[in-house]
Amino acid sequence: MREHNRAAPPSRRIQRASRRRVNLAALTVLLAALLLLAGCGGDHSILNPAGPAARDIRLIWFVMLGFGTVVFIAVIALWLYTFKKRHVARTPAQERRIGRRWIIGGGIILPTLTVIALLMFGVPTGKRMLTLPLDEPPEVIEVIGHQWWWEVRYPGAEGGEVVTANQLMMPAGEPVDFHVTAADVIHGFWIPRLGGKIDMLPGRINRIRLEADEPGVFGAQCAELCGVGHAHMHLHVEALPRAEFDAWLAARSDEALAELAAQNAAFDAARDSFTQFCAGCHQVAGISASNIGPNLSDVGSREALGAGVMAMEEGAIYQWLRNHQTLKPNNLMPRHDDLDNDTLQDLGAWLETLTP
Amino acid sequence: MQTAFKRLHLGHPAHLIIGLTLWSIWFVAVYGGLSVACAVAPPTPDQGSLTGLNLGLGIFSVATTALLVWLAWAGWKGGRELTGRPRFNALVSAGLYLFSAFGVVFTGMPIIGMPPCL
Amino acid sequence: MTTINRQATPQDPQEPEDGRTLHDDLHEIWGNPRGIKALTIVNHTTLGLRFMITGMAFFLLGGILSMLIRTQLATPDQNFMTPDIYSQVTTMHGTVMMFLFAIPVLEGLAIYMIPKMIGARDLVCPRLTSLGYFCYLFGGIILASSLVIEMAPNAGWFMYTPLSSSEYSPGLGSDFWLLGITFVEISALSAGVEIVVSILRTRTQGMALHKMPLFAWYILAMALMIVVGFPPLILGSILLELERAVGMPFFQVAGGGDPLLWQHLFWLFGHPEVYIIFLPAAGVISTLIPVFAGRPIVGYGWVVFAIIVTGFISFGLWVHHMFTVGIPQLAQAFFSAASMLVAVPTAIQVFVWLATLWLGKPKFKLPMLWVLGFLIIFVCGGLTGVMLALVPFNWQVHDTHFVVAHMHYVLVGGMLFPLMAGFYYWLPLFSGRMPSETIGRWGFWLTFLGFNGTFLIMHWTGLLGMPRRIYTYEAGNGWEIFNLLSSVASFVMSAGIAMVLIDIALHFRFGKPAKHNPWGADTLEWANAMPPSAYNFVSLPNIETRHPLWDNPDLPRTMAEGKHGLAVASHGRREMWGSDSITGKVREIVHLPGNSWWPFLAALALAVVCISLLTRLYPVAAVFVIVAGLFLLRWSWENGAHPKAAPDAEVNEGDPPLHSRTMSGPGVWAMATFSIANGSLFLSYLFGWFYLWTVSPEWRMPEASPLSLLVLVGAGVALTVGASIMEKLVRGLRARRDSGLMRGFYLSALLGAVQVGLVLWSLLSAGLEPTQTSHDAVLLVGLVYALFHGALAMILTAMQGLRVRCGYVGAHAPFEPAVVVQLWRYNLVTFWVLVGALGVLPRVMGG
Repeated sequence: MREHNRAAPPSRRIQRASRRRVNLAALTVLLAALLLLAGCGGDHSILNPAGPAARDIRLIWFVMLGFGTVVFIAVIALWLYTFKKRHVARTPAQERRIGRRWIIGGGIILPTLTVIALLMFGVPTGKRMLTLPLDEPPEVIEVIGHQWWWEVRYPGAEGGEVVTANQLMMPAGEPVDFHVTAADVIHGFWIPRLGGKIDMLPGRINRIRLEADEPGVFGAQCAELCGVGHAHMHLHVEALPRAEFDAWLAARSDEALAELAAQNAAFDAARDSFTQFCAGCHQVAGISASNIGPNLSDVGSREALGAGVMAMEEGAIYQWLRNHQTLKPNNLMPRHDDLDNDTLQDLGAWLETLTP
Repeated sequence: MQTAFKRLHLGHPAHLIIGLTLWSIWFVAVYGGLSVACAVAPPTPDQGSLTGLNLGLGIFSVATTALLVWLAWAGWKGGRELTGRPRFNALVSAGLYLFSAFGVVFTGMPIIGMPPCL
Repeated sequence: MTTINRQATPQDPQEPEDGRTLHDDLHEIWGNPRGIKALTIVNHTTLGLRFMITGMAFFLLGGILSMLIRTQLATPDQNFMTPDIYSQVTTMHGTVMMFLFAIPVLEGLAIYMIPKMIGARDLVCPRLTSLGYFCYLFGGIILASSLVIEMAPNAGWFMYTPLSSSEYSPGLGSDFWLLGITFVEISALSAGVEIVVSILRTRTQGMALHKMPLFAWYILAMALMIVVGFPPLILGSILLELERAVGMPFFQVAGGGDPLLWQHLFWLFGHPEVYIIFLPAAGVISTLIPVFAGRPIVGYGWVVFAIIVTGFISFGLWVHHMFTVGIPQLAQAFFSAASMLVAVPTAIQVFVWLATLWLGKPKFKLPMLWVLGFLIIFVCGGLTGVMLALVPFNWQVHDTHFVVAHMHYVLVGGMLFPLMAGFYYWLPLFSGRMPSETIGRWGFWLTFLGFNGTFLIMHWTGLLGMPRRIYTYEAGNGWEIFNLLSSVASFVMSAGIAMVLIDIALHFRFGKPAKHNPWGADTLEWANAMPPSAYNFVSLPNIETRHPLWDNPDLPRTMAEGKHGLAVASHGRREMWGSDSITGKVREIVHLPGNSWWPFLAALALAVVCISLLTRLYPVAAVFVIVAGLFLLRWSWENGAHPKAAPDAEVNEGDPPLHSRTMSGPGVWAMATFSIANGSLFLSYLFGWFYLWTVSPEWRMPEASPLSLLVLVGAGVALTVGASIMEKLVRGLRARRDSGLMRGFYLSALLGAVQVGLVLWSLLSAGLEPTQTSHDAVLLVGLVYALFHGALAMILTAMQGLRVRCGYVGAHAPFEPAVVVQLWRYNLVTFWVLVGALGVLPRVMGG
């Protein structure tokens, strides 16, 4: 090598560089600590599991994070050390031996052992989410993705299939099989606190098994880009004790819902407007049977409107009907500019009574 | 056996790609075979991982591994007697054959314990 | 440009007595024209720089888009962009960075560097370089223009169907993407093909495979991967564009198609692409580390091993982008294991570099700073990559910001940082000047800290459950603070990048003049003048070592003095060595074409085709397809013994013959390499056919195949006879016999015409309804493929007949038929496979 360094002596430069490096390391550690302090909570957090599958995956993550950090620090430290350490003259044979040790040890043995360990440890975890046959067949819930809302079906309900939208009730403390598909483009079904995600593909049915330990409410939102409404496609997921879940289903039998929709003659005008303006797309049991937009038979009992865009409260449906294109831009329901406020208020008030 | 291998001209760079090409063919055959079998005649889920499909894939993998290990061994043996470029070529190729064999074993391991079509 | 630093380098030949140097003579032959004629330049040095500069311009565009994204996500419930604009911006950010920045810039670096490193004077198909550049430029401009008219693609950079289909993306956005990207890929493919052949066939005397610089190994692998990896996406793009434009339901379930086929084709390309980007970057690292450690790399063979393993394994990983689509768990496990397997070659390289530093005397210069940045970021990204290969974990973090963070760690760490290291390292070669250490360091630290601030935090945002590609989010999930931090840091990174680019730009004007070989490197590119002359080297040396400049520091001077091979210019040809692919022994003199308008004009015609397809002016498109074809044929006319190529074949005493006077010159290799790409396209097509047949949910196979087997077999027979006549002619040429050559070519062409006619007949008589079922659409595409190739062979062969008449081809110049016959061989194999797959198998297997 014929290169001579006329600027600062290399050793000082390296010192400066390594000091910076130490600062950087300190900063990183500090930042990481802050992140951890900020907590793993949240309705959508993978690190805040509420079911066995998600819990296993969190464990895998922390093990991998720990091991990865050790490997990372070791490799970087070794590299930095090479700039610092004194050069030792060696014979070519020695150099070859040292080189081979590094390459075989670090390049072959280390990654091989790591990935074997990872596979042994990781593959069984995935089995939990497979829909393997069980002694007692689990509850099956069908979820169908639409642009940009969720259709949820309970084919196993005793009083005939129950259909609802944008809210998913499931029994807690037992495995549930989800059969998912899509009506238009690809969507992603994912309840982060319960376990992994699965794509909803048109023309195919995908299956995943999830379980919630305890009754509770979990966040969920579409995971696969599905168009302009992708960010506004939330799903309210709630686990109920088995008995409550059964009662919830029973209250949504066709007869019960039809009865609910027909009661109170004060809403006759609203029912007429519904038949005139909404029935082409929406279903309300006993009144209409269309399946283009979300089923509204129990809409009053839902937590939110517009797939999680606004909370359900008194007058919310009217607000939604009036301003839905602002609240959820580009959604596929036409504007209601041709309808006056009274009609919409009336409609909203009636729909809010649909609470089985 | 070694002489048979010598006839393949250890110095030829084709050896650098034959091993991994065999791995690729094995990979495509196993993945494709599995997909077609699962689409045409899937075994029932309650058979677990003890199906004829797993067995077939397993035997195929073992055979491929054996072939690759033999190639690696012969390349190593032959390469050590050479010098210069042929030696370089033969030893790197032997390494690649060995890696391909390892690749078949490693990638094929799940055949042992997993149900095929779920 | 070539005069800035002439005194400082030993490249100046000694003045002969008449005052005219060899340099002047060579310069007259190789030099670049100015003004409008600069569009005709085919020189690799100029075009390499153009590629890199254009790529950096697109990098800035992609960077600006990323700043828009981070602004939008900085706080919850932002209204900075509408969801549609946001989708356009994210889609274009990914597309621009991948297709218009990463690949072209690295190709540009390879185009610039490879001939200089292997002791050649240019790439082997200079006109192809030029075509590639203009296809890239025009395609990039067309694609980027969609942003201006707010019609950019918005279905995500992987364009998943059905979202990207005409039903759910009715605008022109997806068309811009599909047509623009396909156009740009012509450029990638042509660069890929010629780089492969250049590395294999034009190394200087004596440079055997195992003495090549490692960078050449990396680039060879990259180029081969481009050749094999890009065609699946080209096929996918063509199919999707056909679906959008005329309604062939390849990806629509109702028509018997399958949206998953798109994902397979896309990721068959998409995963290797990550390594296409990473390998050259790793090549930069493997070049720099020995230089700054002051010793040869430890374990050259190990690195070659790692390169080859990476190249292969990366084609076996594509499904790991599709773990959540519902593929059987066992199949997922294969891909999971294969994905982890790739950790081995990567780890080998990391430890090879470590061992080299360990055993050397490393010096901490500016390029090494970027190398270190690369290491930190890339090791991190590699570790998260192994995590993502684990299926259950992947199911959780797939499609979240964790994946976004991982991907940026791998791509920015694995590509941008090494690229910057390479730029700083080679800047003295580009310009003859040194970069500024101070601004360079500031730029590095801002970029490095900004990058980690943005993306380290983003891992956490992903773990907290934030999906990717949402244009806004509500407060309350714990995502707010992390998004804000990411956004702030991303602006720090932007400042750093700006500083680096300003530093690089300024150095061309204000940098200290560099001394020759400023870093004390070992490879041949530093034997060039700084900046290099158009012909690179006055004479081409005999190289039998991996470290020519360390073993013989005098080499640059003796090369410049013309003391080595091919130091002649009297014939007026652009010449360099054609050497044996394995041993590097000289086999022929390759004579290269000079500057030409045809590549520019052909690219322009193709741009018109692209725009008229976009605007649905199909007659215009058809006309310009023919125009482009004519330009390309006219271009190929200037070959062999044509007056503009090499009319007389005289060479110096003792030198090998000109390549056009042999039967196995680099052109034969280029055709073979191109056939690999073509074969990859064909295999992707077959994959599509069998895939839809076996797994498409609503596939409909008619009771009886609509294709007449008899007609197809007849076509096959005509093709077989035509091909065997070609073989016989070529055998004759090999024995220097050319009696009946012209008649033979015309007869083959005629048989080719018969084949084309029969295929056309079977197509027309089949009564296909390609807009009704994907089955018929797939058949149509297959037959059109056969038609196109049959017609191409026919035209090229008829042209050979014409060239025999003109005296450009014959026993004295037998080269071209050896190229054309390969197309016949290719057609022969693919056509019979096609007959088997489309005509025979459905009859045997039934629906």
